Amino acid sequence: MTWRVDSRFAGAGGQGLALAAVVVAEAGLASGYAVALTQEYGPEARGGASRADVVLSDEPIANPQCGIPDILLALHDKAWHKFARTRPAVMAALAEGRCTALVDADLVRVEPGVAGILALPFEAAARTELRAKVVANMIGVGAFACVSGRFSRDAIEEAVAKRSPEAFRPVNRAAVRRGWDMAAAHGSVFDGSLVGHAVSA
Amino acid sequence: MSTLQLVQGNEACALGALAAGCRFFAGYPISPSSEIAEALARALPRRGGVFIQMEDEMASLGAVLGAAMGGARAMTATSGPGFTLMQEHLGYASLAEIPCVVVDVMRGGPSTGLPTSPSQGDVMQARWGSHGDRATVVVAPASVQEVHDLTGTAFALAERLRTPVVVLFDEVIGHMREGVTLAAPPAGSAGRPVPGEPPGPSFRSAYRPNAEGVAMVPDFGRGYRFHVTGLMHDERGYPTSDPATVAALLERLERKTDAALDALPPERYRLEDATVVLIAYGITARMARAAVDVLRERGIPAGLLRPRLLWPVPVAALEEAIAPAELVVAAEMNRGQWSLEVERVAGRQVPLAPYLKAGGSIISVEELVEHVLAATREGVLA
Repeated sequence: MTWRVDSRFAGAGGQGLALAAVVVAEAGLASGYAVALTQEYGPEARGGASRADVVLSDEPIANPQCGIPDILLALHDKAWHKFARTRPAVMAALAEGRCTALVDADLVRVEPGVAGILALPFEAAARTELRAKVVANMIGVGAFACVSGRFSRDAIEEAVAKRSPEAFRPVNRAAVRRGWDMAAAHGSVFDGSLVGHAVSA
Repeated sequence: MSTLQLVQGNEACALGALAAGCRFFAGYPISPSSEIAEALARALPRRGGVFIQMEDEMASLGAVLGAAMGGARAMTATSGPGFTLMQEHLGYASLAEIPCVVVDVMRGGPSTGLPTSPSQGDVMQARWGSHGDRATVVVAPASVQEVHDLTGTAFALAERLRTPVVVLFDEVIGHMREGVTLAAPPAGSAGRPVPGEPPGPSFRSAYRPNAEGVAMVPDFGRGYRFHVTGLMHDERGYPTSDPATVAALLERLERKTDAALDALPPERYRLEDATVVLIAYGITARMARAAVDVLRERGIPAGLLRPRLLWPVPVAALEEAIAPAELVVAAEMNRGQWSLEVERVAGRQVPLAPYLKAGGSIISVEELVEHVLAATREGVLA
């Protein structure tokens, strides 16, 4: 069965979500998938919440646009507000198990009682454990890769390393491993079944 | 040797140009095309090429034409407002048979319009934007890989046919990133026709055509003395108003562009048994392709014809796709431009239900499917 994963990487400007999307797309290419990355452009990309979308598939991608995301990574409440809280279709998908949200446990105020949300301390772990607040996005990438079930841990780590300047490679590698482990620790939530949805061939 | 990389559409355009031997770019940055200029500003000087940021788009194409006359493979890139300013020089390049590539990354118009939103509104402008009966070659890539490849094709056609070739895509494709295989350009790509005879005082044939109907104009600086003009001219390049000479010139300029039809046939998708024929190009064709799959699942025998060459119109391929159709749906992001060509070819024999959308957002798979289903329900399908 042909599959595709629609994923959205959302945050406040400067949190590095566009780079996170690039890393995931490059990991996708390296894993033999088709990828399409689109991101906001123009006035709406300045300030406030921003997003970048990656579609992954085992078949060539006709429609490159992200629909209701299978996985939404939100590192800031502004992004959660813009791309989840105010979008009934996304909230419904979360409740029905068609969307998984990875949100920053401290920076996003999620609605109580909504299923499908995994709140993890991306920013806090970056700041306190890795002493580099800027790698919160790469922790997010690690968590994303684990949850997606579409990447090996090595593949995502290599993609991150490839995009890193040499001096920052160790901390970025550590970040992506930390993110993977954070998500994996919630194995009871994620039973190992693949995220994504079937598409007609 | 080839490598697979994640590349943005506009970057792919620059890379395709470099691979095709582009060594001169003059332009004026404009959204959503600016990354093409940015990439070439970095790359060209390192390769012994030239990048010039000009004062405006008129001057940009003027500089490109000068470089091309000097022998360089030359290009500019812009969006609708700049494309408008380039129309005068496009006409000149057509008549004077100066090879060049002009990229138009379409945004919403008219005027400054929607600077950061996609559109397919410049299709007729690419055909008729410059005055007179001007033959044109316009290619329309639908993926980042194809932006790379068709930019190379555009250079090959421009050189071989000695004519401006327009590469037309939109903001979404320009800014999207996809995997691209950067292959080495095919060897032996034909250069531009040049005179068979050596320079000398008796040279009087700068605009004598070759067997393909393409003038064999020398490059400047090769010792030939000749005249280049935007006036109607004879084979010597001298102005003429002789009606028979002028008519033959216009006929030749149009006929030579037919070679592009063989170089870029349309893509056919699931058309074998299709009676509902979707016709779309660029980003819209991607949505139409996905829509065909959804429609097939719902029992509608749909297929897609995707022209990669918008001008000249691939009439034979259109006729072939339309002939068995019971419904033809041309979709595009404008108020109706290339769909008029579909209508012209289809005549009144086939029910047409074009899907046209202007306003700055792309046509979704869902709305296209809904449109086709509604058209079939309404009995457009007899």
